[in-house]
Amino acid sequence: MAMEKNYGNPSLEAKLKDRYYYSDDTNRDFTKEVEKIGRTIAHMCYQCGTCTGSCPSAPRSSYRIRLFMRRAVLGLEDEALTDPDLWLCTTCYSCTDRCPRDIAPTDVIMAMRNLAARRDIVPRNFLKTVQAIYTTGHGVPNNDVNRAARVKLGLEAEPPTTHGFPEYIEGIKAIIDHYGLKDRADKILSEGE
Amino acid sequence: MAEKKEARIGVFVCHCGTNIAGSIDVEAVKEYARTLPNVVHADDYQYVCSTPGQTMITDAIKEHDLTGTVVAACSPRLHEPTFRMATKVGGLNPFRFEMANIREQNSWVHMHDREGATEKAKDAVRIAVAKASLLEDLIPKSVPVEHAAMVVGGGVAGMQAALDLGNAGIKTYLIERSPTIGGRMSQLDKTFPTLDCSQCILTPKMVDVGRNENIELMTYTEVAEVEGYIGNFEITLRKKARGVLTPDEAEARGIVGGGCNGCGDCVEVCPVIKGNEFEFEMAPRKAIYIYHPQVVPNLYTVDFNTCIKCGLCVEACGEKKAIDLEMVDELIKVKVGTAILATGYDLFPIENKTEWGYKKYENVITGLEFERLICASGPTGGHLVRPSDGETPKKVAFVLCAGSRDNTGVGKPYCSRFCCMYSLKHAHQIIEKIPGAQPYLLYMDIRSFGKMYEEFYYRIQDEGAKFIRGRVANILEDPVTKNLHVFTEDTLLQRPIDLEVDMVVLASAVQPTTGADAVRKLFGVSCSQDGWMLEAHPKLNPCGTTTAGVFLAGVCQGPKDIPDTVAQAEGAASAASIPIHRGEVELEPYFAQCNEELCAGCGMCVNLCPYSALALVEKDGRKVMEVTEAKCKGCGTCGGFCPGGAIHMQHFTTPQIVAQIDAFLLGGEQ
Repeated sequence: MAMEKNYGNPSLEAKLKDRYYYSDDTNRDFTKEVEKIGRTIAHMCYQCGTCTGSCPSAPRSSYRIRLFMRRAVLGLEDEALTDPDLWLCTTCYSCTDRCPRDIAPTDVIMAMRNLAARRDIVPRNFLKTVQAIYTTGHGVPNNDVNRAARVKLGLEAEPPTTHGFPEYIEGIKAIIDHYGLKDRADKILSEGE
Repeated sequence: MAEKKEARIGVFVCHCGTNIAGSIDVEAVKEYARTLPNVVHADDYQYVCSTPGQTMITDAIKEHDLTGTVVAACSPRLHEPTFRMATKVGGLNPFRFEMANIREQNSWVHMHDREGATEKAKDAVRIAVAKASLLEDLIPKSVPVEHAAMVVGGGVAGMQAALDLGNAGIKTYLIERSPTIGGRMSQLDKTFPTLDCSQCILTPKMVDVGRNENIELMTYTEVAEVEGYIGNFEITLRKKARGVLTPDEAEARGIVGGGCNGCGDCVEVCPVIKGNEFEFEMAPRKAIYIYHPQVVPNLYTVDFNTCIKCGLCVEACGEKKAIDLEMVDELIKVKVGTAILATGYDLFPIENKTEWGYKKYENVITGLEFERLICASGPTGGHLVRPSDGETPKKVAFVLCAGSRDNTGVGKPYCSRFCCMYSLKHAHQIIEKIPGAQPYLLYMDIRSFGKMYEEFYYRIQDEGAKFIRGRVANILEDPVTKNLHVFTEDTLLQRPIDLEVDMVVLASAVQPTTGADAVRKLFGVSCSQDGWMLEAHPKLNPCGTTTAGVFLAGVCQGPKDIPDTVAQAEGAASAASIPIHRGEVELEPYFAQCNEELCAGCGMCVNLCPYSALALVEKDGRKVMEVTEAKCKGCGTCGGFCPGGAIHMQHFTTPQIVAQIDAFLLGGEQ
């Protein structure tokens, strides 16, 4: 386990924190769980970098899919699930297309997001998206700019979705309620305030 | 056959250290064996294959007047000969030995079920004892070995093997399907790590092959059919129509002083232009051609697929009358005692990895194309140029593991073993030849495992090559400059990279050469999961195959560099010469035998035999089946089928097999 230090100065402590990897940082069940949910052989990653090299998110952010694969291999559960970069994958599947070990890194990320959600670790914008879908049927609801653009293009202001047929929102609510997703999102969001 | 006496069997149970004893109660198996019918002695030992273990067997045979022995140990593959020898030393016929496999088929697979494994071992011993009680004396048959060998493939492996065999006094047929020997090595510019000029060290060997009086060099020739068995292979060769006569062939046709002398007058007049395969079609050749000036034999070839038969070359050749445009393929039969396969490799078609743009972007080339472009005798006279504009590239990216170590199904799961080293060499070559050049090696691991290889890696890094640890994700071309953007992650820097270079060299994976599979099947050689030819044992018999008398050399057995290839070729030549020098080989006496009194002469077995070992012959006025023992492999197809029960399978007789089945089904209650 990591050494406890006490300098009485939080920023200095963060800078000088123990950075060793200790073998008991590994949770083997985490690797197994990720593989079970992701249905892919995450432990076979040999860290070649093809995934990050293919990733459209990597050149624009601090997201490194290869590091998450490494955490999957070593079972570094806390490090993986508490890293906000986990939520920067666009799920384009370029890494999965090219991985020479035939692993699906995208599905590893999806599995980790599932496990993070179980521990209520989800960014607020994702939770707000849940609320938006619950109330409007859309993750990104229509707005005035869009409506004007649609009219200019000769389309109805509202698309033929729940915006055009709000009576179907009830169905979407039923699905989300079935999984308790809305209550969960509300709860986490309120706790964070 | 020895006179019949009551069976007296000795059983020896091996611990194999803890390999068997770790999951089987050896003591219980031994005690159980003592209760079995005909068993007069049972013992156990740590390692029965050791000298004291074998002495136990020989002593027990004498002491207990045994008629047969059973060893319960490992698979018979390695140690059946060991224990047969021990049985023979003890004074019995070696075929009075039976093995019970309680390791591979028992202790290793039932590691966590000691009780079940022990019971299964008892079953195996009981079954072996039942058979051992009925074993008969058998005398192996010796057949003479033809004092000649064949080597298929004229690359450096085949050449070395042929030279060794020839120098050992053995008549050797060296078969090469292309018009010249030399193989892949003759396409290389320099060799790592010594930086010898490849042609300079290979050409003398090629000339030696051409001159060796024991080597019959047959280029532009393929193996069409293989019959026979160790010592007596009858091989049909297809000598492809070359359109050109050697001086000897011309003389045989009565053309005095004629035949091809390699002058090249024909090439001048030939109107057909085609890509030269030797230069990966980066240079032209005519329809009548040689690959390069150092070919052996120095003999032109007509490419009948493109020749328009205009006859200009025939005119130019004049009195030598070396060209015959009406030539046809010729079948030639030769007899050899042993054969070595050395069919080599091709590059994996790396254009199938579409993300790297080979054959789509002009300035993406393969490692072998780089060899030709940097070689002084190559299409550019040794000036490395960009195919798009002929400019000299300054920044060159070398993509390692291009298609190797790849489990996607498009690519090869294995390491191709020499790409790391030749890419290091390529980096050295551009630094040496192009002032200000900057090579980048994009790698996953640098595998520099050979003698002086790691030192070579150190040297190239010192010379200024940059190593980026990341497998290339994709390559894009700038449509205007034709420069290439190589994308990967520098995994050590943890940053994605967009590397703009003038040229990309893909260190493509290798795969068995086209046609290797057909040759392999003709000789009855298996292949491993990865497609390469399968050696008899990966560690203890790397040159042999499961077909007696057929050996492997070079990359056809798996990727290897030149030193390893030459070493294996010398090993294969040595192994292939042993039966020839002994002059005869013993065949295991598992032949079918025909009981002529019972044989009705129906001939059904003759058609069933996969080895053409059976024939119907006339005897005493009626037809009966006759076995050519040397061809019979003892597979039992005929014996199992014969409606009259007239076929006796030695060592696998019906009573022996029935006794085994009974022993199994009846348990201990016989």
